[in-house]
Amino acid sequence: MTTIAPPVVRTKEPTRSSGGRSGSVVWMALPAFLWFIAFGIVPLLGVLWLSFTTWNGIGEIVPSGLDSWKATLQDPKLPHAIWVTFVIMALSWAVQTPMSILIGVFIAARKRYREFLAVLFFIPLLLSSAAIAITYKSLLDPSFGLGSGLGIEALNQDWLGNSTLAMATLIFIVSWQFIPFHSLIYQGAVRQIPTSMYEAAQIDGAGRWKQFWSITLPQLKYTIITSSTLMVVGSLTFFDLIYVLTAGGPGDATRALALLMYQQGFQANLMGPASAIAVILVLVGLGLSLLLRRLGGRSDDSQLEGA
Amino acid sequence: MTNNPMSRRNFMGLAAGAAGAAALAACGSDGPSDTTGGGTSNGGGSGGGASYWSLSGPPGEPVRKAAIKRFNDANPDAKITETYFQNDAYKQKIKTSLGANQGPTMIWGWGGGGLKEYVNSNLVEDLTDWFGQNAAVKDKILPSSFGAATVNGKIYAMPIETVQPIVLFYNKKVFDKVGVQPPKSWGEIMALVPKFNDQKIAPFSLAGQSRWTNMMWLEFLLDRTAGSEVFDRVFAGEKDAWSDPAVLDMLTKIQDLVKANGFQKGFSSTTADSNADQALLYTGKAAMMLHGSWSYGIQTANGGNFVKDGGLGWMNFPPVEGGKGDPSNTVGNPGQYLSISSKATDAAKETAKKFFSTTLVDDQEKEGWVKSGGVPVLKNSESLFTGGDAQFLKDMAGIANGAKVFAQSWDQALSPTAAETLLDNIAKLFQLQVSPQQWVDSMNGVIGK
Amino acid sequence: MTRHSPSPTVSGTPDSRRRHRAMSYNWLGGGLSWVWLFIVMLPIYWIVITSFKTQDNYFFTNPLVPSSDLTFENYKTVIENDFVRYFFNSVVVTLGAVLPAVLISFMAAYAIVRGSASRLLRGMNWIFLMGLAIPLQAVIIPVYLIIIRLKMYDTLAAIILPSIAFAIPLSVLVLSNFIRDVPKELFESMRMDGASEWGTMWRLAFPLTRPALVTVLIYNALGIWNGFLLPLVLTQSPEQRTIPLALTAFQGQFGVNIPAIAASVTLTTLPIVLLYAIGRRQLLSGLTAGFGK
Repeated sequence: MTTIAPPVVRTKEPTRSSGGRSGSVVWMALPAFLWFIAFGIVPLLGVLWLSFTTWNGIGEIVPSGLDSWKATLQDPKLPHAIWVTFVIMALSWAVQTPMSILIGVFIAARKRYREFLAVLFFIPLLLSSAAIAITYKSLLDPSFGLGSGLGIEALNQDWLGNSTLAMATLIFIVSWQFIPFHSLIYQGAVRQIPTSMYEAAQIDGAGRWKQFWSITLPQLKYTIITSSTLMVVGSLTFFDLIYVLTAGGPGDATRALALLMYQQGFQANLMGPASAIAVILVLVGLGLSLLLRRLGGRSDDSQLEGA
Repeated sequence: MTNNPMSRRNFMGLAAGAAGAAALAACGSDGPSDTTGGGTSNGGGSGGGASYWSLSGPPGEPVRKAAIKRFNDANPDAKITETYFQNDAYKQKIKTSLGANQGPTMIWGWGGGGLKEYVNSNLVEDLTDWFGQNAAVKDKILPSSFGAATVNGKIYAMPIETVQPIVLFYNKKVFDKVGVQPPKSWGEIMALVPKFNDQKIAPFSLAGQSRWTNMMWLEFLLDRTAGSEVFDRVFAGEKDAWSDPAVLDMLTKIQDLVKANGFQKGFSSTTADSNADQALLYTGKAAMMLHGSWSYGIQTANGGNFVKDGGLGWMNFPPVEGGKGDPSNTVGNPGQYLSISSKATDAAKETAKKFFSTTLVDDQEKEGWVKSGGVPVLKNSESLFTGGDAQFLKDMAGIANGAKVFAQSWDQALSPTAAETLLDNIAKLFQLQVSPQQWVDSMNGVIGK
Repeated sequence: MTRHSPSPTVSGTPDSRRRHRAMSYNWLGGGLSWVWLFIVMLPIYWIVITSFKTQDNYFFTNPLVPSSDLTFENYKTVIENDFVRYFFNSVVVTLGAVLPAVLISFMAAYAIVRGSASRLLRGMNWIFLMGLAIPLQAVIIPVYLIIIRLKMYDTLAAIILPSIAFAIPLSVLVLSNFIRDVPKELFESMRMDGASEWGTMWRLAFPLTRPALVTVLIYNALGIWNGFLLPLVLTQSPEQRTIPLALTAFQGQFGVNIPAIAASVTLTTLPIVLLYAIGRRQLLSGLTAGFGK
């Protein structure tokens, strides 16, 4: 599954026109709501329940109170995985955001070739994470990869075998996969900035750089928050990519929470602790998206409630 | 390499993510509706039919299919239904279905730690008495194959298919070019390292990213320095079993080899699933490689004329000076294994046992596996080795037969939890991130888990 | 008039064209974009050329130079391995999940926008928002158990049902943002004409929301088309395999035949590239409306 996740609701005045007829529309939301309850919320409760049990995946499920939680919270792997998750989140955000904005601003200009660029930029998003990981593993092979292809010895590094390099490589590949997508979001957003603002600035003699800082960036505020939420919450669920690329290695250098959950549950057969980690994942994701929504400004809160 | 059993460790893991997720069915009374192969609980054909699940893909699947067909033709009243799964998928499916009481009559596996889990959950039949009564069957199988089928002194699985020892491959052309001889001891290995490095050839090819490849070095070095007893104690769950001085010695030797640039540059980024490690050997970029016997087939297929022209050499891992281990010992896959589900009906169990005692030990079975390029677990297959590969097959059979101890790969022998920690720590060891002492300490922490 | 009203996005309005006229070339953005284009295309190029190599010359050739003797062998092998059936399954699953998902999400989004005064609807919206944070891997176990209870294990429907559910939160979000942009006067005039909410939804909101509908359609289709976890866990027999799962089977059979994997990746991706090429314009304006401010 693609792991792009939650954008924030952006601010806007709630539509008031609907007035008193809401009763007649509630049923329209029911199919989606019930469906989501059945296959989204119910399984979530199931995971919560499993986190209070002991189960090896083959035998009986035995309720065991807080055992799984205790084991999980005392396991030194957990803080490390949280740290790795945080590093991936922070670095991939820090790399992707400025680049996406710059590229987005550039391709927003209405020139034919730039539209063409926008088309090509989208392609990485079409590939599955597993395919991307296999491709990069081959390209980064120190003996038969990119370095020997281009004849550049400096590219023959221990990309996936050195802890620091492996993390850097992972961030790079994540950026490769998602910068195009975020650039497109910014492209769209930049195109919505009223031209009159730039015209006024030009009359005042503001240069491109100044215009960027005083008009473009502030106008992109909500887009930045939306895109950041996608990146941040999405990075929690990176799984296929890491699993195929490094399997969490070298050692545990890239073992993020989602991967730890998988290894605990499906490789070590500890389903209880794996479910506890899953619950932690959901809580962290929820917390982060609420936090980012709050950063979006006051009106967002009412939006959240009032949509 | 597809279907060679070792490829279960093929971490390529497209199957990745999820593979595991399937594991879960276990709870609840209804398991997956068994659409494919007659689960045990809901019968599986009339008159004592049995079901059999195994791995898909050549070279194994055709041989397996042929065996089932022979049996079904001979036993129209008690047929076996077969289902094949891709490697990673199989591991998850089998767990899922066993938990949901929908497993097959015959459970295909790798023995060792995995089998032990089944035994602990009472999922498989104890075959000790059956082998006692059918000594003729037992006699047809290489004795070294039974180790990984034995849990707490009892036999829970029938060794089947092929033995796959790990051997030291080398590129004869590279040795000629540098003007050196294949090593006969650890000391000679260390002496060869600078000679190859001077010629800009990597002494050893190693797919370090795949981790289990690194593990083979530990397995052999520990065995050669201290014999098989040290790991046996770990396997038995003895407290602080890793603290043996031989382990420290072995780990130090490994790090010495890494520090002397014994492996190709950036080896921790080389992956085994792409076969890049084997390509290093047959393209002459590396001189030697420690790998499973199935590598021979891959190098034959991918290496152009390399194998045909006699470029590939092989030997058992050389002894270590002053080491206590028997140099005939080997490590690898002593066989594949078939267990009988304890949940199966009596009739199905009988059918499975009949399959064990007839088809699985007949001459066609032996011939089929030889033709597929493997060394059968069945005795006296040497006469069947013909053609260009005869020498290799003879040598592999020789190693398997001659081994005083044919040890199973550690990650398969240990529990899944311990295996994961082991592979982690091995990766760190090769990266020089942990000292031998730190390695021992963290491995002692998961003994018996 | 409703049908022909301009889409709520501003993209494409003539005055936005003027902006860049007097500006100097954006060297920073331009340089970066071209460099990034190179970086984006290199792996894609590698996949395509590798798919035309044979396995035994893969390690003997320069990884970035196309092999002198192109081979279609990999494609042939992949297609002969029941690719058509898996392709068909993938199409069924993708369409079967995406169409209902988008449809019911649209209805929910409409209700949420129009009925914003209702506590109930606000509560539902909150739950959808929460749903955005649930990673599929985290809940796959219970999903599996539910499917078994429904006796749907090993059917295409088993993949479709949860796929719909996990497409809902994002779809509702994007669509409701879009519907909110519809000028309220339009709703008002529909009401004056005596149209019911049901009629207004289909006759007014639906056509106006088309770019966003296409967006969520394509976006969700991408995720489901490449989806691996659900098919793996919820199906078993080869007859129910989807392409991503089949890819692993190819991988199993070829062991580690990188060129064959490259060929199957190319074949798997090609249909969505086409889909993207067709829906691109609307996807972009939809992205703008759905995600951009």
